[in-house]
Amino acid sequence: MSENKFDPRIIGNLLNFGRSFIQAPMKASIPHDVDIGSTQFDVAYKEDKMRLLHFRPLTSRQVRTPLLISYAIINRYYIFDIDPKKSWVKNLLEQGFDVYLIDWGTPSKIDKFLGFDEYVNRYMDNCVDFICDETNVDKVSIQGYCTGGTLAAVYSSLHPERVKNLIATAPVIDGWKDTTVVSNIAKYFDVDKLVDTIGNMPPEFIYYCFSILKPFEQGVEKYIKFLDNIDDEKFVERFLKIEKWAGETPPIPGELFKQWIKGIYQDNLLIQNKMYVKNELVSLKNIDMPVFTQVAVGDHLVSPECSMPLHYAVSSTDKILKLYPTGHVGMIASSFSQKTVLPELGKWLKERS
Amino acid sequence: MENESNITDYYKKTATFWSDMMEMMSSKSTTLSAVGPLRNLSTNLKKITNELTEANKETVEFNNFLIKYYKQLSDTWTNAQKEVASKTTKIPPNEEGTEAYKRVWIDIFENNFTGLFDSKKFSENYNNLVSTELDLLKRWNTITDVMLKSANLPTKEEIEEIYEELHILKNRIAKLELSKKQSEKNVRK
Repeated sequence: MSENKFDPRIIGNLLNFGRSFIQAPMKASIPHDVDIGSTQFDVAYKEDKMRLLHFRPLTSRQVRTPLLISYAIINRYYIFDIDPKKSWVKNLLEQGFDVYLIDWGTPSKIDKFLGFDEYVNRYMDNCVDFICDETNVDKVSIQGYCTGGTLAAVYSSLHPERVKNLIATAPVIDGWKDTTVVSNIAKYFDVDKLVDTIGNMPPEFIYYCFSILKPFEQGVEKYIKFLDNIDDEKFVERFLKIEKWAGETPPIPGELFKQWIKGIYQDNLLIQNKMYVKNELVSLKNIDMPVFTQVAVGDHLVSPECSMPLHYAVSSTDKILKLYPTGHVGMIASSFSQKTVLPELGKWLKERS
Repeated sequence: MENESNITDYYKKTATFWSDMMEMMSSKSTTLSAVGPLRNLSTNLKKITNELTEANKETVEFNNFLIKYYKQLSDTWTNAQKEVASKTTKIPPNEEGTEAYKRVWIDIFENNFTGLFDSKKFSENYNNLVSTELDLLKRWNTITDVMLKSANLPTKEEIEEIYEELHILKNRIAKLELSKKQSEKNVRK
């Protein structure tokens, strides 16, 4: 009988939750007004909407080979500098690296015809050219994150002579092995019709894809946790920064999106070495420089099975595959990445730069 | 189903017949009274009517896919709720029990909905839904194009042509710049 007695602590918790709900607007900033990014940079080069950011050094001595980060085509680059204590770029600068980052910008209707060719052979190649000229080197190290990892892999295959080291962080490589629900949607997607009718892939579709990835953990539990922690200033600040980042994504140029869905998710050409950019075959076997593949075991956006095949497909003899017990964002913007991922990457890269 | 298509054909024919008739009947007087954009608009009435009639058919299709979409979501919700009910009967009504209930609820709902989003039936229906939505959008684009033409403004297709031209030009310039850069480098060497 006593087991079924109602626990008064439940009422207390409910009242606390109600209090947090009412006090939230007073305790937290307006999500869209949250400041992100504190590491200083200069726009070193600009072409169309793409910008090459050069972060100002934080050490007197620098590693010889500069590092170019190819950000993803989804969301914004500032996830790499989301918080001074969890900043990917700041950490690398403190380790003595000369860091450049590509911000792909916000494509508009006029950019509908941009595809892999322009992104890799024009924008990325011009960035590498610019960096080489500026720093007096022949090669750069390239790190690509998420879809930026795919672009970096394609670039390294087509221009291996320009790449000293390749770091692929959660890259999208083998679409058929991707176990996320996004690949299931992509399989039957009439991408030609979408691009012909709308032009670019609109952000709303991307948000839809996000919403079906762990809808209850990400769509319900996360917000309950936020209200439960409303008194924890640091938690609230970080939560809002990540939320702001997740809620800001640019459209994807129609042609690039079409090539992406067909070439990677539907026909899975990249991993089979059958993908063509312009008229050139992209063979991952051309990648012979040192390669570091970073995979997050709990990645719900790009499943580990989708990223790992890169490690086995390249012909490099100096290569390493690391699996981290974290998620897609946790791998680049967390205390874990500061303590584990970045020191390991820095050590590996210094030995080869 | 056959009946439905007969009715659609009937309305389509009726609408086209009367829009043709009206166009013929009014053409003489509008030619006399209106020139330029207004005249164009009256002659384009047939195109707009056609698009709207076709759009009707697609709206029905869109609704069917949308109903199926919501049914898939609500069925999954019901099944998940049933599963939660069957697994939480012995959870005590205290603070720890509430936490355990929350965990079970989220895990079961997550699993059920991920199962749905991962299924072929969901993906097929969702993509059919998007596809018919795009068909409707195409109709709307065509109607807008007719209006734009009447107002002597560039249509979507014409704007696309300009974009494509610009894209080709940009690529050509990029190529020229690249070869210039390469020859400059060669001279330096």
